[in-house]
Amino acid sequence: MNDEKIISRIKEQFQDKTAEVTNPAPRRIFVKVDRPDLLAVTRFLRDTFNFVHVSTISGVDKGEVFEILYHLANESCSLTVRITTPRNEPKVPSICEVIPGAVLYERELQDMFGLVIENIPDPRPLLLPDDWPKGQYPLRKDWIFERPEEKIPGGG
Amino acid sequence: MDDMSGLTYNVPIGPQHPALKEPISLRMTLEGEIIRDVDVRLGYNHRGIEKLAEQRNWVQNIYLTERICGICSHSHTTCFVQGVEKLMELEPTKRGLYIRTLVAELERIHSHLLWLGVAGHEAGFDTFFMYTWRDREVVMDILETISGNRVHYAMNIFGGARRDIDDQQKARMLDDLQLLKKRTEYYFKIGATEPTFVARLAGVGKLPKQTALSLCAVGPTLRASNIPRDVRKDDPYAAYDELPFEVCTADSCDVLGRVVVRVKELFESYKMCEYMLKNLPPGPINVKYPRRVKEGEVVSRYEAPRGENIHYIKSNGTDKPERLKVRAPTLGNYPATLVMLKGAFIADIPLIFAAIDPCICCAERLVELVDSRTGTERTVTFSELRQKAIQHYKSLDLKKRDSAWPL
Amino acid sequence: MLSRLVRWSRIKSPWILHLNTGACNACDIEILAALMPRFDLERFGVLLKATPRHADVIIATGPLTRQSRDRMVRIFEQVPEPKFVVAVGSCALSGCVYRGAYNMLGGIDQVLPVHAYIPGCPVRPDAVIDGVAKLLGTL
Repeated sequence: MNDEKIISRIKEQFQDKTAEVTNPAPRRIFVKVDRPDLLAVTRFLRDTFNFVHVSTISGVDKGEVFEILYHLANESCSLTVRITTPRNEPKVPSICEVIPGAVLYERELQDMFGLVIENIPDPRPLLLPDDWPKGQYPLRKDWIFERPEEKIPGGG
Repeated sequence: MDDMSGLTYNVPIGPQHPALKEPISLRMTLEGEIIRDVDVRLGYNHRGIEKLAEQRNWVQNIYLTERICGICSHSHTTCFVQGVEKLMELEPTKRGLYIRTLVAELERIHSHLLWLGVAGHEAGFDTFFMYTWRDREVVMDILETISGNRVHYAMNIFGGARRDIDDQQKARMLDDLQLLKKRTEYYFKIGATEPTFVARLAGVGKLPKQTALSLCAVGPTLRASNIPRDVRKDDPYAAYDELPFEVCTADSCDVLGRVVVRVKELFESYKMCEYMLKNLPPGPINVKYPRRVKEGEVVSRYEAPRGENIHYIKSNGTDKPERLKVRAPTLGNYPATLVMLKGAFIADIPLIFAAIDPCICCAERLVELVDSRTGTERTVTFSELRQKAIQHYKSLDLKKRDSAWPL
Repeated sequence: MLSRLVRWSRIKSPWILHLNTGACNACDIEILAALMPRFDLERFGVLLKATPRHADVIIATGPLTRQSRDRMVRIFEQVPEPKFVVAVGSCALSGCVYRGAYNMLGGIDQVLPVHAYIPGCPVRPDAVIDGVAKLLGTL
């Protein structure tokens, strides 16, 4: 199936809920939805177009909001679903009931940005070390790391 | 000491372990010899690359992404460079694209030969290990002649390739590929017909088709469950839309199927490399690229030897990226690996994970026993285990039958 | 006399332990390639040993990540005396491309005492052989 068919079906199914649908390059579609509609949109995409594969989930810190992108893929196209969540209330629903393989990527989002993912089956941190201090989220833009002074063995 | 049957053991494996090449920690819950549950602890290799990428400019990031992985380093740079070229609206030259694809296929060949050797080593077939790595040296020599380094060949730059291939190198490469083809046919014969090898690998690590799809597995692991997904065919990039090749699948869903898929892919790669060498288009190898990159975002996908590699790059108009997100292929296969390990025997762990040796040899080893009936935990020291073993064998009262020398 | 014999056997047949503290694996594959038919370290008596308790020389690659630091110190203490640590690859020397990352200390010599440094990114197998030979020559 080609991109236009997918775009037209999404538009006719969710007329007012999807704010913008863009197609910047062949086989790349970007869809923006609101936070509460995320599960419904992913379920529709999985059942109608066979988007069963989550490639990854990225988070971007834009200052006032966090933008979260779900990169889905099927045999012919790569579609990205975009949601935003405000910085002072960073809660996102989990898509693990629709696509179970997304659990590791959501755990990474929790670690790196401090988001709270509701209904996640496994909330443990994924990547950061065991003795990492709580409340420090490395990928936020305002988290700056000061490298400590190195001691050079045998030197001054 | 009370009866130990019905107890489950929690055994930690890693981060440093006999056959482990990289640090990873697995906690296995065992009952007898069968694994009941597995838990993976990642994070030993976490180097903070995404945060570093925001502080380096675009060209420096090519070298940073190269060092995400040593075996598939070209896949990460190509994925990154492809994405940024789309943001710059730059069209790379034909010859540059062909050279990029040629190095990508050579990297696939060397990675699959490496994996075959490691699989042979974990199955107990060390000769196979030595043979495949000796042939891998042939590919490393080719790569060294083209690029100057055996690993981390920095062949990519925005707009094309950095170095060119001349006719002498081309002729030598064609000869070497013929040699490799003959040897790979020999390995295929061993893999398919050697009864002990096949018996060791068949039926181990089963991953049914539906589970593989729902857990988002990638690469040969997915293709061995009879699902023909390959980014080179679904979403062609570089020169792949002009190259004739087929997607290789197997339908046995186990480790033997993965060996078959990788050997078939080796043959396809040889065909592709020969086609590319014979039809290399003339012309310049790269075009000049602008210093600043326009605002925008791009998703770039690539088929690395281990699976689908995806980069998401966002730019805000300056000379440093705003966000670089990398998802390497092995992370996508972790949930599938945990499912494959459950219900398997301990002795199949190396084959399934391709890295772990179950023979744990050390003096005072701490094993935590959980009594499955009462749920209490108790630690058992080695001395206690030894006492129990001595009592057990004394109680068996073994008689030596017809032994010539005295006890 | 016995100590001379022991010293001769240590120099002539060092058993190595391979420690990966969080590297990109290029140096590890090159160390394994040094044991393969092309560069064959085993003809010098070098064996890749599985456990820290059997090893003489620790070959460590990779920048020390924070998560693996305590484990590496524990493993270092498990290796019996006399032991030598060889830091292999740019990452182990000073962090290579990852300098300045929040999870990194900047090289293995911040935590373990190192006796030999072998540079390269990744290190060539010939350089590994050369480095280990030079280290044993100082004994």
